[in-house]
Amino acid sequence: MESKNNWKAWLYLAPVIILMAVFTFFPIINTFFMSFLKDYNYITGNFSGFTFDNYIDILTPINGSGPNTRFNDFMLTALPNTLLLTIITVPLSIIIALLISIGLNSIKFFQKIFQTIFFLPYVTNSMAIGMVFAVIFDTDYGIFNFIFGNSGFPWVSLSPTAIQNGVQINYWAGVFAICFYIIWNSLPYKILIFLSGLQNIDKQYYEAAQIDATPKRKTVWKITVPLLSPQILYIMITSFIGAFKEYNSVIGLFGKDGGAFDTNTGPDSMITMVYFIYNSMSGTTTIQYACAAAVVLFIIIMIFTWIQFKVSKKRVHY
Amino acid sequence: MEISLKHLTKSFPGNPKKNIPDTIAVSDLNIEIKDGELMGLLGPSGCGKSTTLYMIAGLKAPTDGEIWFGDQDVTHLTPEKRGIGLVFQNYALYPHMTVYDNVKFPLTNLRVETTKKATKVLDNLEIKKILEENLDEILEIIKSSLFKGKFSKDASARKLVYRFHIVTSLAERIFKFGFQFLNSEDEIKAKKEEILNKLEEENKKELESLTSKGFTVDENYVVLKDGVPVEEKRRLTKDEIDALVQETARLVQINEYLARKPSELSGGQQQRVAIARALVKKPKVLLLDEPLSNLDARLRLQTREEIKRIQKETGITTIFVTHDQEEAMSISDEIVVMKDGIEMQKDEPQEVYNNPKSLFVAKFLGTPPINVFNGYISNKSLYIGEEKILTSDKLTEDKKVYVGIRPEGFMCDEHVNEKDKVLTLTCNQIVTMGRDMSLVCSHKELCGDEAKLIIDSDVKVSIGSVKFALKPNKVFIFDGESEERIEF
Amino acid sequence: MKRYDDLVLVLKDEGLSTETKEKLSKVSKIVSLILIYLLLAFAALLVIFPFYWMLITSLKNGDEYQRLVPTFWPETVMWSNYADALRRLDFTTLLTNTLIVGVISTFGTLITTIFAAFAFARLEFKGRDLFFSILLATMMIPGEMMVISNYTSVSLLGMTTSTFGAYTAMIVPFLISVFYIYLLRQNFKQIPNELYLAAKVDGKSDWSYLWKVMVPLAMPSLITIFILKLMGSWNAYVWPNLIAGGEKSLYLITNGLRESFNTTADANEYGIQMAATVIVTVPLLLVFIFFRKYIMRGVGRAGIKG
Repeated sequence: MESKNNWKAWLYLAPVIILMAVFTFFPIINTFFMSFLKDYNYITGNFSGFTFDNYIDILTPINGSGPNTRFNDFMLTALPNTLLLTIITVPLSIIIALLISIGLNSIKFFQKIFQTIFFLPYVTNSMAIGMVFAVIFDTDYGIFNFIFGNSGFPWVSLSPTAIQNGVQINYWAGVFAICFYIIWNSLPYKILIFLSGLQNIDKQYYEAAQIDATPKRKTVWKITVPLLSPQILYIMITSFIGAFKEYNSVIGLFGKDGGAFDTNTGPDSMITMVYFIYNSMSGTTTIQYACAAAVVLFIIIMIFTWIQFKVSKKRVHY
Repeated sequence: MEISLKHLTKSFPGNPKKNIPDTIAVSDLNIEIKDGELMGLLGPSGCGKSTTLYMIAGLKAPTDGEIWFGDQDVTHLTPEKRGIGLVFQNYALYPHMTVYDNVKFPLTNLRVETTKKATKVLDNLEIKKILEENLDEILEIIKSSLFKGKFSKDASARKLVYRFHIVTSLAERIFKFGFQFLNSEDEIKAKKEEILNKLEEENKKELESLTSKGFTVDENYVVLKDGVPVEEKRRLTKDEIDALVQETARLVQINEYLARKPSELSGGQQQRVAIARALVKKPKVLLLDEPLSNLDARLRLQTREEIKRIQKETGITTIFVTHDQEEAMSISDEIVVMKDGIEMQKDEPQEVYNNPKSLFVAKFLGTPPINVFNGYISNKSLYIGEEKILTSDKLTEDKKVYVGIRPEGFMCDEHVNEKDKVLTLTCNQIVTMGRDMSLVCSHKELCGDEAKLIIDSDVKVSIGSVKFALKPNKVFIFDGESEERIEF
Repeated sequence: MKRYDDLVLVLKDEGLSTETKEKLSKVSKIVSLILIYLLLAFAALLVIFPFYWMLITSLKNGDEYQRLVPTFWPETVMWSNYADALRRLDFTTLLTNTLIVGVISTFGTLITTIFAAFAFARLEFKGRDLFFSILLATMMIPGEMMVISNYTSVSLLGMTTSTFGAYTAMIVPFLISVFYIYLLRQNFKQIPNELYLAAKVDGKSDWSYLWKVMVPLAMPSLITIFILKLMGSWNAYVWPNLIAGGEKSLYLITNGLRESFNTTADANEYGIQMAATVIVTVPLLLVFIFFRKYIMRGVGRAGIKG
């Protein structure tokens, strides 16, 4: 019986095992492997030995140039961009989602309608909506510039027209636009998780707090947030990982080149680490840089996740 | 503070579309609770007792009627403005806070009205007094806190607090004097003198600084301005909070667990913490919602004595909801028996037991429960089956009735001498339990399967048909229709 | 602690009359409710606005779009933008490609997920828990780690050059989703073991028990997985873009959308561009409207987009 079940079970798992071996486990090892190859050409399969140079190359902040590759941009553009987007969007979106969820949880009328509205950005095509944001933030005709902009100073400017006309686009305007879009896009998932967490909190804790004359704001900070801490931790970890992998938003908002900014105000484009990886993949001789960058991304994510688990150990109540 | 409920009514609206009628949870309840009294609200589940409690707490709004605390109508006040303490059925302890923080939490929302005192001076005097009188004991306590080669500040402080009734910050100051590192008597003595002098000096400075600001201080260290005590309304200081938490913890005996999380406590301990959290703010009214229902039988007995003790010690007017009649009878000064939202009877527990007003109350109180027989009144006599049980001039009306006889209302042997006024039961089972003997009997007019009797274990009874005489004060007659008591 | 025995504790608003207290709590309650609704309404407006702007822009003509003062409703409704957008997108090709890839990979995923979830939930075998933990651990690894190597393998196999090869390359690597396996396993585990034992007693095989009992009972989860996966194909960009490698006839819908409007510098085309985004977005919204419950429940169970 036991042994019979054993081979049967593996039979059921055969598709998973085969497909994952080929498309998950092998590639992970292979990526590590390729990241150490010298002068690798994946079409011909030639390489001239093993080296750390790929890592050294991408981690050295020198403005170099290669045909159609931006591998030297890793330290000067992709990494700072990614870190900046992460540092801005993760806390902000969590706080906003938390506020909205707590608000939603405390109302009776229209709760369902609001909930549905706030979920809408989840069911959109990130490319399509990125293009919509590009239109909204457009310098010449965008509604955003019309309301908040200034004709002499294009506060947010993304349109190709503007670039052609030599309008210098402020890097920080781009940062604002993409952060706005990322937060907009990431709210629904967070709200959904927070709201279901909130609805699972026993009402008696609030009644007890009310009996003890606890002010509303204090109830939120001392009771709601701690009791929601498992969900907050989960969201924090997933949004950190998500933010480090930001790519579609860049392509959607700034097009396939990742934008072009006034270099006096910051990096010249909004390319991220993942953008760097995909861009390096398109050349036959730069794939090892993509691998090295992917490994670096992997390590950064691991470290961040580990730190968050460590830090939260004391603060999260299970 | 006395509480009075006037015509209190609560109905939950139904849905006319779906043909669901309104549900009346509590109907026209009128109860007066005297100051310092422990009132038990008793009834089967769904009788509206918890709803009543929640209305008193303010967590549910009454549909009709009024709730008065003393001379104040609190009917429309929100719970946070009522100043009550409530112990929830599931305790509702905040799982992320330690016991200490749980108990402390209500205090952080309160203010204190007091006269300003020279607290620093009082603190120093307190330390001085303890050092002068109990230095040996202090040394012993601190040295006993040696753990892994280090003297534990927390453990020492906890023990010092417990022993000397001081606040934690003072205990920590005493620990930090460093007596534990001194060996010879002389060193200790010298250190003590040094500290006492330092305290003296600090006090002098503090008083000087108060004087320089235009204050004076009276003999109780109350701060005066122009000869009048300075009144203040402010948040509680850390020491005040600590003092209240420690004293309440002592009252409910949870001092040892203050640093733990609720999940690390047993049910009984959590229960105490919940009571401490309700008591710590010195509420005028304490409400307990089935506080013992989550405990096992032994703990329940113990805890209910505890609640009684705490209530007597604090003198807080308390309302206690339970479905367990034994619980209610054993700790309440007065009980209210409820059924379907209606008050059935209100009296002292023994009185309710001795004089039930209705069949429901008679059935609800007492273990084993009362035995109920179908009977009838005929010609001023009460019959069960063919047997005439008793005769009374008051039984004027011939009708069908229920006869309730308490288990302890049966007698046999020498008492059975009269030809009539006996009841013959078929005895099926005899269980001797020490002093008493429990008989399981049957009778064809019995409502329910079997009758449970308790008689003296000296009496000889055998299985089979047995004649019993009845104690008249343990026999109750209820109308066959209205189920109300018929006096005889 | 005698010093503290006579502390008089009072509520913050002690001393006010009962009426004032009632009024205060009523006012504060109303004010806070109004504030909450205002906040929510404002946030909801921000959420809806891009959709609204997309829609009205898609109906404007170039002149109106380029006004200095934007109009909030199109003066001349340009339905022709939609026809232009469809033509520009080469919509039929995109839709065919997306449906072929989406439907096949969705059904394939369902099959592998059902098998794996059944094995993990019901069957006993050595190393089950270890293997399951390994699977879960792979969710932590960024997909980019696999994409690079998979891309080199696929292109070395020449799959990027033929239509059939490209379809296969777009489908096969994504036939496994650890998250869906996890989701379905949880669901399978909730089905009482007694049913399984009863089926065994009746002489049913594991195979027929899986299809006759477990799959029907787990239908809501399967629908959730079906919809989320299909939506994932609709939104897929990176991998198909790599596989197609610029070959327009192989694009999926999202690639088509980006490519068709990537180079243009003419703001006259914003209307058509927005029409195209509407075309891509509307099917998603329709699915959401009809399957809201399934989608929100699936995502709520700690989901990953796509």
